[in-house]
Amino acid sequence: MKGRKKLKPLPAWMIWANPILKRYARSRLRPASLGVALLMTILVAGFFFFLARETTARAIQNPIDVGRIPLIPLLILQGLILFGLGTGQAAAGITTEADEGVIDYQRLAPMTPFAKVLGYLFGLPIREWILFLATIPFTGYSIWKGQVPLNGVLQLYAVFFMAAILYHLTGLVAGSVMKNRRWAFLTSTGLVMFLYLIIPQAAKFGLVYLKYVTIYPVFNEVYPSLIPRPLGDAAEVFNTIIPPAKFFGLNFPQYVFTLISQGVLSLAMVMMLWRRWRKADCHLLGKFTATGLFGWLQMMLLGNALPLMDSGDLFPSRELDRRFGRLINPDIQFWSPKTWEATVMIGIYGLVTLASLWWLTFIISPELHGQVRGWRRARKLGHSKLPVLSDAATSVPWVLTMSVMGAAGWFIFGRTLIESHWYPELSLLVVTPMAMFSILLCGGLGMAALLESVGRKVTGLVVILGGILPVMLGVILAVSSDDSIALAVWLAGICPVSWPVYGSGVFLSEEGMPRDVARAVPNAFWFWQGAGAILTVWLLSKLRSARKRVSNLSKEF
Amino acid sequence: MSEPAIEIKDLRVDYGDFVAVNDISLTIPSGVVYGLVGPNGAGKTSTFKVLTTLMEPTYGEVNVAGFDIFESAEEARRVMAYMPDLAPVPSDLKLWEFLDFHADTHRMGRAKARRERVEECLRIVNLYEKRSAWCKELSRGQTQRLVLAKTLLHRPKILILDEPASGLDPLSRREMRIALQALAADGATVVVSSHILSELAEMCSSLCVMNQGELLASGTADEVRRALGRAERNLSVVTFGDSKKVESWLEGRMGVSDLKVDGSRVGFQFLGGEEEQEKLLVELVSAGLKVCAFEEESSSFEEILVRVAKGNREV
Repeated sequence: MKGRKKLKPLPAWMIWANPILKRYARSRLRPASLGVALLMTILVAGFFFFLARETTARAIQNPIDVGRIPLIPLLILQGLILFGLGTGQAAAGITTEADEGVIDYQRLAPMTPFAKVLGYLFGLPIREWILFLATIPFTGYSIWKGQVPLNGVLQLYAVFFMAAILYHLTGLVAGSVMKNRRWAFLTSTGLVMFLYLIIPQAAKFGLVYLKYVTIYPVFNEVYPSLIPRPLGDAAEVFNTIIPPAKFFGLNFPQYVFTLISQGVLSLAMVMMLWRRWRKADCHLLGKFTATGLFGWLQMMLLGNALPLMDSGDLFPSRELDRRFGRLINPDIQFWSPKTWEATVMIGIYGLVTLASLWWLTFIISPELHGQVRGWRRARKLGHSKLPVLSDAATSVPWVLTMSVMGAAGWFIFGRTLIESHWYPELSLLVVTPMAMFSILLCGGLGMAALLESVGRKVTGLVVILGGILPVMLGVILAVSSDDSIALAVWLAGICPVSWPVYGSGVFLSEEGMPRDVARAVPNAFWFWQGAGAILTVWLLSKLRSARKRVSNLSKEF
Repeated sequence: MSEPAIEIKDLRVDYGDFVAVNDISLTIPSGVVYGLVGPNGAGKTSTFKVLTTLMEPTYGEVNVAGFDIFESAEEARRVMAYMPDLAPVPSDLKLWEFLDFHADTHRMGRAKARRERVEECLRIVNLYEKRSAWCKELSRGQTQRLVLAKTLLHRPKILILDEPASGLDPLSRREMRIALQALAADGATVVVSSHILSELAEMCSSLCVMNQGELLASGTADEVRRALGRAERNLSVVTFGDSKKVESWLEGRMGVSDLKVDGSRVGFQFLGGEEEQEKLLVELVSAGLKVCAFEEESSSFEEILVRVAKGNREV
């Protein structure tokens, strides 16, 4: 049948006319509730503003320095409002719509999926944006009185807004997959906390890229101009030895690199939401995009880490030495990294690679229900195979590709680190690349095979019993008695999460480890790797027969 | 001939191993009230969800108002409206705000034009007085009426209503029936599902019966009754004369059984086609039995549906 004349939908860029934005402006900015929230915000902002100024006014005579004092407390308050409350509201708001059932009305609204994403992105946390604006007069006054260079302020707030958008998008994604609004709120705000408390610690252990999902890099660069000048000048001196954002051979200003990093992640989130608005039951990411995202993450991890190896800036002890070196050990004249740092950094790199591989495998692996539907559709259309990129198609080739990419990235990281001038006496075992590939392959394919052949619930159970319980038991054993440490190592080794950690110890050195542990780790690692490989082959054969069964089932129309 | 409002070809919906809709094909003409009848689990709601672009089927082709819903979902959404079963409303909006938001999504002009249309729709469903109340304060029946108002807002060409009468009092049901028939008279196509079958029979120009994902019959109410009725036809003869004479004449005739006399009316079951039925009437008249009426009493919808539902349980 011939289609009729196409009607023009509302352009997504006309955000001010977006009906979803206007709907939430109406419901979330009612005078009574907004008034209370505004009053509270102004009171808290005013309290910090005056408290900070008045407590320092006696000690600091210069009005410019006094003017700068409230800036950081206000920035923290703004972060709590936009990052914490705003993200929670974005997640809980979308879950509430699904919970009430009204989300179907919005699905039917004749708007483009992108316009819907933007409507929710700016609509759900609209009150938090207004509350943020309410703090601006205090910040503006402090910037004016403190004579803070506008360039730094603009850089900081550009990154601040980009981070808020990224976190709100993350909240929307979390809200679109979670059922309970309270859990959605808590999870998404917890995620922001995780970003600001845990991720920066991981960034200190070689994963420099992770700090660019926060505002820390730009804040560190700008903060000397946000504090009283005598302190700021000292910090400025320190800042001159903080390198710019390095990406392979390129140097970027911190704010530019942060904006690029967060912008690409935001784009990935928008894509997930766009797909969900287009088709409610489709995967968050397509197979090709997920593999591309994995490759991009690897590239970013390597691109930020490799240039910092030779200078030593990648090592956690370097930062400590700079700040407190003489205080910790006045006898040491020249800093050099310890072997354990390389072990830990290689282990953490592998762990993060495995975690991101699992995350993406979880997203792109089809459940049985989806496979049956896909097969039936393919057969109806006269195809003998599923389209490779369809949601119903197996994720195995893509997981394999990601495992190769991950192993390559991990090996490059490890080899460059060990072959740097800091470790002349160390080298990686010949089998290291194969072992790294095996860890990721067994972990990734095992997960994919489980998800595709038995579904998410059974996979969850297997993860609890095989991935969490052994580690918990191992920890209890390890702390209960020194004699049972070796047993604890063996027990925890069942869990694939421990494989990259054990592997990093095996690949180079066990220096610093207790004797029992040093002996148990390699044995446990190789044993469980072998067992993992056999199990993965078995799971893949189970998957093959499960898919054959599904394919045959779909023949019975 | 005008373009069909909805065309469904080989539609299938699966939930894992469960087949909710099994290869149904259906054409719904424009400007009619069309009923979708079937017991629980028949596949009505799944069919509606596919029609309204809320769900992707396993396979099948669906055209709504000339738009392929998989290629031109946005265009199809513009010309149709959907009222789900147990229609939900948001808890944080007032009645007029809820309708104004949906009017806005359909780009129905500036605030004043939207307000006028919102008020008009609220009057149609008798909720104008409550326009400033919160949606969450409405009773079940009022909520149904509000969502009906929402579906009417953008003057859709096609309305898809899943159990719209549930929760409504008899008066509201009657008003809704009249409103839907008026919409159809104005050229809109109304597709409605309901368990209140007598109401559907009164309201719908044509309908289809679904059971366990299969399409059992479709057509006008009479056609569906015939298609799903038993092989025996329920016939009755009304006579000016002695009904006992008619009874004794009919007794022992080929295909006649289960005779019942009720005053001047003699009811019986007849196993035979239309030609045999016509022949029987001619013979009755030729025998001088003073026949003043000869009628076929078709199976009622309730009877058909009860039989279909019973069949499911026996399976």
